[in-house]
Amino acid sequence: MADNIELQKMRAKVEGINTLPTLPSTLRQISVMLEKPRLTMDEIARFVSNDPALTTKVLKMVNSAAYGFPGRISSVSHAIMLLGLNVIRGLLLGISVFELMQKNMTGLWEHSLACAVAARYIARQKKMKEPEEVSICALLHDIGKAIVMLQYSTEYEQILREAKDRDICLYEAERNYLAATHAEVGLWLAQKWRFPANLVEAIGFHHQPQSARQAPLETAIVHVSDILVRAKGVGFAGDLFVPAVHPATWEMLQLSEEDVNAILTQIEESASMTKEEI
Amino acid sequence: MRRITIDKLEPGMILAKPLLRGTMVILGEGAQLTEAWISRIEDMEIESLFIEGHPEQAIPKEEALARLDSRFQHVEDQPHMKFLKKLVKEHIEGLYGG
Repeated sequence: MADNIELQKMRAKVEGINTLPTLPSTLRQISVMLEKPRLTMDEIARFVSNDPALTTKVLKMVNSAAYGFPGRISSVSHAIMLLGLNVIRGLLLGISVFELMQKNMTGLWEHSLACAVAARYIARQKKMKEPEEVSICALLHDIGKAIVMLQYSTEYEQILREAKDRDICLYEAERNYLAATHAEVGLWLAQKWRFPANLVEAIGFHHQPQSARQAPLETAIVHVSDILVRAKGVGFAGDLFVPAVHPATWEMLQLSEEDVNAILTQIEESASMTKEEI
Repeated sequence: MRRITIDKLEPGMILAKPLLRGTMVILGEGAQLTEAWISRIEDMEIESLFIEGHPEQAIPKEEALARLDSRFQHVEDQPHMKFLKKLVKEHIEGLYGG
């Protein structure tokens, strides 16, 4: 019972993020905008176009290797047409959270970006209709970490220290100090920002893919991408260990040796290209 | 493929992506750079180019492999993880030229 109350308290705090004074202002504006029940393409395009720095960042991202339209997208409305509203909404969040990630956990952005590249590859391989959406799930899968680090900074310092001292992964250490893990926090936020169910699940269940009900494939892809990126050792996600892959999830994706090889190579190439991105 | 800045270009490097000015292709993908081309590229206000080959690695190979072992230390006996580690190891060795 007490646990449940703690959980509710934490959820309320996370959902009240817009009132946090230390929240970067672009992120606040985007957060407020994404909560609107009916957000049109025009509104997003206008919002982005009014901010030249944001426009540059969005165009840089959509033209980068992670999104597969290299050098071809020259305007925000063009990007929205090609990638769809959900992808652009996710990208805006990713870009505005980037600053937080850089400040609080060096390497988390590289980790997220590499996951996006891997996820897009697998999604295309599986012939999914919207590979870019899966890529967005991967880009945002650790968004909970960035937000928890901001709202629970004292606890998170302890969590990081404990993970390091006891040689355990961050996900495990989080349970000892907080009512919810970064994955659950990510799920709450994805719901708050009105992301479709497949994105919500893929972010919320990336550590326990067997729990996904509506989007098992997307969730599996994010889970495996996370593991491949950690296995290769790109970026830093709070600990230095590769978690074990969920066996049935790995088998579901049926990745061949060639696939894994191609994914690792793509991560390598995009990591060297995207270093100065954004 | 890797991106390098113009000051690091050397004759013999191979373009991994075409060199464009606007929509016009100046040098195609696969072109091998000569000294004359490099000096012209230097006059073109371009910052960087994509060339073939892997980027230089930040750490020595032994260190990279030791870190790989350390990353996998808790999970080597779990299903599929040995296989995954083997593939990553081969990939890392490839980055250092076999």
